[in-house]
Amino acid sequence: MEFIVVSTLNGFVYGLLLFMVSAGLTLIFGMMGVVNFAHASLYMLGAYLSFTITRATNFWVGLLIAPLIVATVGIFIERFMLRRVHGFGHSQQLLLTFGIAFVVEEVVKVFWGNFPIAYRPPGFLSGAAFTIFGTNFPSYRVFVAVVAILLLGMLYLLLQKTRIGIIVRASVQRPAMVSALGHNVPLIFLGVFGVGAWMAGLAGAVGGALLTTSPTMAAEMSVIAFVVVVVGGLGSLLGAFISSLLIGLLTSFSVGFQVSLADLANVFGFGDAARRIGGLLTLDVASLSASLPALLMLIVLLTRPAGLMGDRN
Amino acid sequence: MLRLITLALVGAVLIAAPLFLEPHSIGVLTTALIAALFAMAFNLLSGRAGMLSFGHAAYFAIGGFAVIHTMQAVESGAIWLPTPLVPLMGGVAGLIGGLGAGFFATRRSGVYFSMVTLALAEMLHALAPNLGGFFGGEVGLTSMRMPWLAFDYGSENQVYFTVLAWTVFGIALLYAYNQTLFGRLTVGLRESERRISFLGYNAHHTKIIVFGVSAMFSGIAGGLLAFATESMNYSMLGMGMSASVVLHTFVGGSTVFLGPALGALIFALFGSLVSDLTKNWLLYQGILFVLIMMFMGDGLAMLWIRIVNECRSRNWDALRQRVLLLIPGLLITVGAITILEVTSKILDQQQYATSVARMNAWPPVSVFGVSWDPTSALTWLLPLVAILVGIGFVYLILARKMQQRTGTIIMSREPAR
Repeated sequence: MEFIVVSTLNGFVYGLLLFMVSAGLTLIFGMMGVVNFAHASLYMLGAYLSFTITRATNFWVGLLIAPLIVATVGIFIERFMLRRVHGFGHSQQLLLTFGIAFVVEEVVKVFWGNFPIAYRPPGFLSGAAFTIFGTNFPSYRVFVAVVAILLLGMLYLLLQKTRIGIIVRASVQRPAMVSALGHNVPLIFLGVFGVGAWMAGLAGAVGGALLTTSPTMAAEMSVIAFVVVVVGGLGSLLGAFISSLLIGLLTSFSVGFQVSLADLANVFGFGDAARRIGGLLTLDVASLSASLPALLMLIVLLTRPAGLMGDRN
Repeated sequence: MLRLITLALVGAVLIAAPLFLEPHSIGVLTTALIAALFAMAFNLLSGRAGMLSFGHAAYFAIGGFAVIHTMQAVESGAIWLPTPLVPLMGGVAGLIGGLGAGFFATRRSGVYFSMVTLALAEMLHALAPNLGGFFGGEVGLTSMRMPWLAFDYGSENQVYFTVLAWTVFGIALLYAYNQTLFGRLTVGLRESERRISFLGYNAHHTKIIVFGVSAMFSGIAGGLLAFATESMNYSMLGMGMSASVVLHTFVGGSTVFLGPALGALIFALFGSLVSDLTKNWLLYQGILFVLIMMFMGDGLAMLWIRIVNECRSRNWDALRQRVLLLIPGLLITVGAITILEVTSKILDQQQYATSVARMNAWPPVSVFGVSWDPTSALTWLLPLVAILVGIGFVYLILARKMQQRTGTIIMSREPAR
């Protein structure tokens, strides 16, 4: 019981954090048809910048300023880099974002060194929020969840209840028609790219202290964010939300399981045979947890390529 | 004719290289050749068939591990195989892995294909440390090259010539492949998959075969690496290897046959030269890639072909413009490198921080043999001015070109999508 409750809470917090990153990714994909490889790099930039700003001032200033800088970087990337190669097709844009991700990782290594940095939650958030089944639940995790839920609420209100939201949603579906109606679609793209980058930066600013902040965090987050976006359906925010929570829970539960295929075979009486074969059959779920998201993405891509909530391929 | 002469020259230099290069440089050249073969194999899938794979390191590494296991078996006497033929096993393993992965990956196209290849490679990368039997866990696997006939494979040169022979053989096979009907079909996949189906070919099967062939040559390249270094580690499966082959291929140019090999050679030589001077050489590689993607989408090989064509047609205006652009280009490069290097040396936490603490002042750092005082405004202003002047010149030259061509200055604006 304790395992289930704690894993659920942890998975929920992780899933909300994932959503903050993948929301921007899925919106950008829906509009431009580009999978932005550099999106997770913006997340990493958010973590590092807020670390530095926090050290110079305090936590709240870092939380406010770092995502804004990241948003500026994102707008620069869209306006002066991606838009330049727009005419050359999607693979050129894909390659360009791939290159940007590479450059950002190296820049981070130059400025902060090629090792994990000690980005920790601020003092007033480092205690335990509550105790459940004898386990202290850190208050910083609660804080991350609150930030993510606030952001989710704001995003929902903005997209569903305002005029801007209607235009943005229409541009995701039919950019040419929205343009014909007299709206400045490139400007809308720029705005969405900026907001997406801002969310990724905010996710980095709060998530960097929760997870590790190192030059490889972008590559790790990148794969998981892709999984979230593909499983949810490229371009669908609701899908991204559901699959973020799903993958958050999957990751936190799988870490605790010590079950292998051989144990499963044991039920049918083939346990010893499976153990003799070894290899994949004797690996337990816990050591597989890093490859589970990729496996999930493969299954979804091959069986239901549009994703859970996607309506087009 | 010019093409043949260039090829003969490159071939002669490669064969004669051990005469005038020291063993260390031969080692660098060996890895460069392996990277070239890997990039050529990658380009068969990504350039010619138009299926961009972001997980090609998987097939490279599978080939490498297969060869290490073969070498171990030869060493222990379990099987008999002439040592120079050992990389062949990498090709076999790569082919099998590629056909299996290709079956799944090619069921999707476009960006979905790229994601599947990425997911497959990442899955294998995350699994590998746990599968100690095949991948050797965290430490990896090692083996020894066995002597064969008169060759003991103890010297760098013997390894180099084996790798050179395999690389030339592989590239020649790829060239021959492109000349066949199936090679034309491969290009057809990129141009219009639907028409391939209407012509009566099975597009899915064709894609699987192309994927398999590309993975096979990648496997041979991986096998050559295992053969040359006598070791293999699961980190070869990582994103870094997949990223580097993408960089090599598209910097060289995916539309020209030998473009990827050119990119790989340039990057490997660039890497070995620059990595001695600065630890930021990967950053410069990345910046180079981004710039080429933005301003010269078809790569360096295409640039070379354009220059040759302009010389042939005596298009002096175009050539003069390229030379004119070189000057501001050099200004921007020097300015940017100066700023980056000074910054990086100051931020090099351990070294610089200790000397700041010891001297109680900010000591100057040396870049390009000139010492730069980090506290003076000149250090930062001078490179910045160089960059700005360079960018200004580029704009002036390009604007004049526009003016000459059309009589008026065009305000270029992209149309809304």
